Amino acid sequence: MPQKKISIRIDGELLSARDGQTILDVARANNKFIPTLCYLKGLSAVGACRLCMVEVSGIQKLLPACTTPAQDGMSVITTTPKLTRYRKIALELLLVERNHICAICVSNGHCELQNMARTLGVTHARYPYNYPRLPVDVSHERFVMDHNRCILCTRCVRACDEVEGAHVWDVTARGIQSLLTCELNESWGASRTCTSCGKCVQACPTGALAEKGWAVEEMTKRDDNVSRLAVRRGGLV
Amino acid sequence: MRIQDIGTFNTVREAGLAEYLPSMPRISIGMGTCGTGNGAEGVYHAFATAIDQRGLDIKLAGVGCLGFCAQEPLVNVWMPGRPLVVLHRVQTNDVDRILDDLAAGEVPRELALCKIEDWDHLTAHVKFGHGFPDIPVWRDIPFFRGQKKIVLRNCGLISPDDIQEYFAVGGYQALYKVLIDGRPEMAIEQIKASKLRGRGGAGYSTGIKWEYLRKAQSDVKYIICNADEGDPGAYMNRNEIEGDPHSLLEGMIIGAYVMGASEGIIYVRAEYPLAVHRLTRAIEQAREYGLLGENILDRGFKFDLELVEGAGAFVCGEETALIASLEGRSGRPRPRPPFPAQKGLWGRPTNINNVETWYNIAPIVSKGPAWFTETGSTKSPGTKVFSLVGKIKSTGLVEMPLGTPLKTFVYDIGEGAMNGKGIKAVQTGGPSGGCIPQEMFDTPVDYETLAQLGSIMGSGGMVVMDEDNCMVDVARYFIEFTHSESCGKCVPCRVGLDKALRILNAFTDGTASVSQLDMLDELGRMIRDTSLCGLGQTAPNPVLTTMRHFRHEFEDHVRAKRCRAGVCDELALSPCENSCPLHMNIPRFFQLFKEDRLEEAFESVIMDNPLPASTGRVCQHPCDDRCRRTTIDSAVNTRDVHRFIADSIFNSDRFDAMVERVAARKLEATGRKIAVVGSGPTGLTCAFYSALLGHDVTVFESNPEPGGMLRYALPDYRLPKPVLRREIELIERIGVKFIYNTRVGFDLTLNEVANLFDAVFISIGTWKESWVYLPGTELTGVVPALLFLEAVQKKEPVPLGHKVVVIGGGNAAIDSARTAARLGSDVTVIYRRERKDMPAIKEETDAAEDEGVEFVFLATPHRIVGERHGNVRAIEVVKTRLGEFDSSGRRRPVPTDEIQRFECDTVILAVGETVDLDFARASGLKIKESGTIEVDRYSLETSRAKFFAGGDAISGASNVSNAMGYGKKAARNIDERLMGVRRFDLLLPDFEYDQTPPAQISQCPRRHVKELPAAERAQNFDEAVVGFTADEALEEAGRCLRCDVRKA
Repeated sequence: MPQKKISIRIDGELLSARDGQTILDVARANNKFIPTLCYLKGLSAVGACRLCMVEVSGIQKLLPACTTPAQDGMSVITTTPKLTRYRKIALELLLVERNHICAICVSNGHCELQNMARTLGVTHARYPYNYPRLPVDVSHERFVMDHNRCILCTRCVRACDEVEGAHVWDVTARGIQSLLTCELNESWGASRTCTSCGKCVQACPTGALAEKGWAVEEMTKRDDNVSRLAVRRGGLV
Repeated sequence: MRIQDIGTFNTVREAGLAEYLPSMPRISIGMGTCGTGNGAEGVYHAFATAIDQRGLDIKLAGVGCLGFCAQEPLVNVWMPGRPLVVLHRVQTNDVDRILDDLAAGEVPRELALCKIEDWDHLTAHVKFGHGFPDIPVWRDIPFFRGQKKIVLRNCGLISPDDIQEYFAVGGYQALYKVLIDGRPEMAIEQIKASKLRGRGGAGYSTGIKWEYLRKAQSDVKYIICNADEGDPGAYMNRNEIEGDPHSLLEGMIIGAYVMGASEGIIYVRAEYPLAVHRLTRAIEQAREYGLLGENILDRGFKFDLELVEGAGAFVCGEETALIASLEGRSGRPRPRPPFPAQKGLWGRPTNINNVETWYNIAPIVSKGPAWFTETGSTKSPGTKVFSLVGKIKSTGLVEMPLGTPLKTFVYDIGEGAMNGKGIKAVQTGGPSGGCIPQEMFDTPVDYETLAQLGSIMGSGGMVVMDEDNCMVDVARYFIEFTHSESCGKCVPCRVGLDKALRILNAFTDGTASVSQLDMLDELGRMIRDTSLCGLGQTAPNPVLTTMRHFRHEFEDHVRAKRCRAGVCDELALSPCENSCPLHMNIPRFFQLFKEDRLEEAFESVIMDNPLPASTGRVCQHPCDDRCRRTTIDSAVNTRDVHRFIADSIFNSDRFDAMVERVAARKLEATGRKIAVVGSGPTGLTCAFYSALLGHDVTVFESNPEPGGMLRYALPDYRLPKPVLRREIELIERIGVKFIYNTRVGFDLTLNEVANLFDAVFISIGTWKESWVYLPGTELTGVVPALLFLEAVQKKEPVPLGHKVVVIGGGNAAIDSARTAARLGSDVTVIYRRERKDMPAIKEETDAAEDEGVEFVFLATPHRIVGERHGNVRAIEVVKTRLGEFDSSGRRRPVPTDEIQRFECDTVILAVGETVDLDFARASGLKIKESGTIEVDRYSLETSRAKFFAGGDAISGASNVSNAMGYGKKAARNIDERLMGVRRFDLLLPDFEYDQTPPAQISQCPRRHVKELPAAERAQNFDEAVVGFTADEALEEAGRCLRCDVRKA
């Protein structure tokens, strides 16, 4: 059954879209930039990072572009001073939440968090740093999990669950105590469900999940491969 | 027994009626969690044992709760043909008495709260009977007045454990009607027409929500009751379920039928064991009677209910998180769309409604939507149950029509504040709601209006706060709650609330900076606008609303490092110190005095308060109201202890040595010159500290002697002038210069003063009587209070008649009355409000009465009648009655048509005083509309450089300690401005003294100073009060609990 065609406006430009696409899908398909961190093409969208909030005319509330379906006649504005301010705050909050010290990070220079901060012009954080004491799991023979660099976007959780089908990862505890957890709070090396496929590592936007053996700035990732596999498995396009 | 037709239905109903209204007396005990917590279980067993032992024919039942929490345990007593009498605060030892009375056909009157002659269960009308004319009908007692019981129609009356009693009051008839009718779409139309809105808080139309599910295409549909009530302070859902579980089942079965659902789930908090227990039993009974399961009421409809206990997370009240929790996943919300009506539990269409929404269904079905919309407001019809708690007299669960103004809740049902404190705000909607300030209590309580004010209806929690609540701390408390209940999925809520909490913590411990105010505001908005679910979107409401309505409290915490309510520990030494405008270190001088170190105690006192003997006599003593000792017996009499300490030094040969000691504390001369305009308590205080800080201080006084109001307005019997003179002598001897008989603005212009000095402090008093418009004020014999008192002080002739009427209720009124009485007149004080509303110090009013002064309350002057020669002959007053509550939280006097006439020849007007600021107007100082000088609240700087102002000149007429507080603050700020550094703390003395709280709390009751016999003291102007003896003062100091001591 051919999908119904609809048209929406993004920042004033009239765009054609398929029914069922989200605002973000339409924007991406037309090279319109909406910042995201927790979104990864092919994986289900969770709306956790809140960077993709946009304004839709006629609706008082801000809406997340990654989970809001595009509707015929909708008019979306992706950037306003308020949105920019809020996005910067969200990034600042992420930067102070854990210990993001770029100078010693394997992903320095290839980090989505870092890039996003640069793109949105976040030069410093006004909020006090939390400096939590968090463990680093080096028990896996090929990979490392460093909670200090995790932003809880859950891309690894979804890549492992939806693409690899192993569901090794999940999030435990709640609120500011939330922590990525392997199986039922096992060390990664002791996991019996992990296939060591490495999709989680490739999906991770920061240096939280990395391959062993790389020094500072050396870890580059290919999340497009995860996306391609995910789409092939019937994930969201 | 399965109900299959109308015949079996009626049989069950008859059986229920025989239980509910038996042929013998029935005693039912309120046994909700609230009643049980207050001892209802013991009362029940006592009744059971006593009935058994006496072999009485009495039916005993446990019921739910009527809602009046403040009066628990509640016991209903009913005898056939008589009204149901509600007894309150029943204890086990009352049981025998109740049974004795019952045997005689009576009820114990002192336990009777109210009676119910007939009750509208909505689905049935029950007539209990008549009698007991002396017991008020339930509707006539304040707590129940105006309440309308729709949701709580059965609570506290029928037994929740007995399905037959539910049948007796018309239960399951609505269900029967819907099933017989067989047209679900009609039922949905009815719900839509009733405009019922979801009672969980968001207020979405229930009818529309139901229609979504009805239209959804799926082989399986679910309905869910959200009973995950988690707001701190809200317990209406618990009470509803505990009192009347079958109403919930009936609402859900009807809902299932019309929406086409075959399975239902009640998601209830695990923390509600009694509710779980009663619901479980109710579900079993409903199955037994054929109301759940296959072929319900023999109409071929299949539906069953399952009860699931929540896992204890607040966020599970959010519908998508609740569904996740039901599916066995961790309770984290997901974005909508898809909505549960499209994709809910196990991916199937699902409807979720709050407990209270379900309770409204059966009444709407049986009585029709038109009946429902009669109650409440147009947009929000019906009622809502609120849990009214906090600083009010009558707390409990109240069901009120939506749109009822907030003040009805606070003042009528709640009966106002406890211990006469001022109510500050109401927090509605729990941690997701906001604070509504007292000035806005006219606000009707409905979904839209509350949202406009930045709050929400929420679950219906209402926490009343008074002046003892710190709004910053309130905001911090709620953020702490939502912070720990955040699921952690989205960034704004997870990290944003954490940061907001840290900032708020900085406010309450005094480490915040001014810029953090705006940072907090921006962060709050960001969290509100970008969070994923309702929890995050509403979590900043308590912060945003308190910052909007109580910004000055936030500023106090940052700029003055003060918490006026005395809640934030880090910002105060002790409650008394915090309440004192001079911030006297009260526990310190108590302790020094107890350690027999009188001189050091004096030093401690005088360095905190340069007029300790005068204030020891006339202070309004705010410390009394805050003293923690009031929770044991009564406040420590601080005022009279420092009076004793001061008197012992001032009247001894140690005075000169003490003056030396104080003078020795003087800092090096700075060469800066400060002018103080006015030598009242404000000016004297500023001069004292400025001189100690090393400045060259000159005080200008228009009168021939210093002291301002203390010297010229306070009568000698309250403050003998030698006492004041001694204090001023000390101030003079540390180097303050006084220039008398010089009126700044007349004898010396402000510009001249400005040229001569580096800083000018304006501390003129409120000497001008505010004139009331009243016919006859031009007559001879009408005198303003202050001019009268001043004339007496200056020994000028006062034309005082034999019969004097004083109008007013402040200290000036009482001083005038007692002075006039001493001059030989008959005095009557007329005040427009009640005695308890009088602003005068209570002890003064009592003393005046003892001295023969007559008081007339609730009377407003109407006109002053003159005789031919233009002299006063009488005054006519209009009697008033108490009307509605005004914005000050007191009942507004409303005139009646009764006029009273008092023959008199003098009328003293004491209706308030204002500042005479004509001179300031000409000088470029900004004047506020209220007629006071405009200053920065914290620095006391006026609009003109070099000029500071304080005391009555900026606050309007106040009292001595407030005035002195401004003087102290001014000295601190002027010094900082002149010197560029904060030096004031260098003056503060440091003493080594015992830092352990008393091992044993003193058992002595509060000591009062002795007054001379009224007949004796009313004859002359000698001091009317005799101070403490050394032993008494020591005993009083020993009563201090030492709140200043902190354990490491």
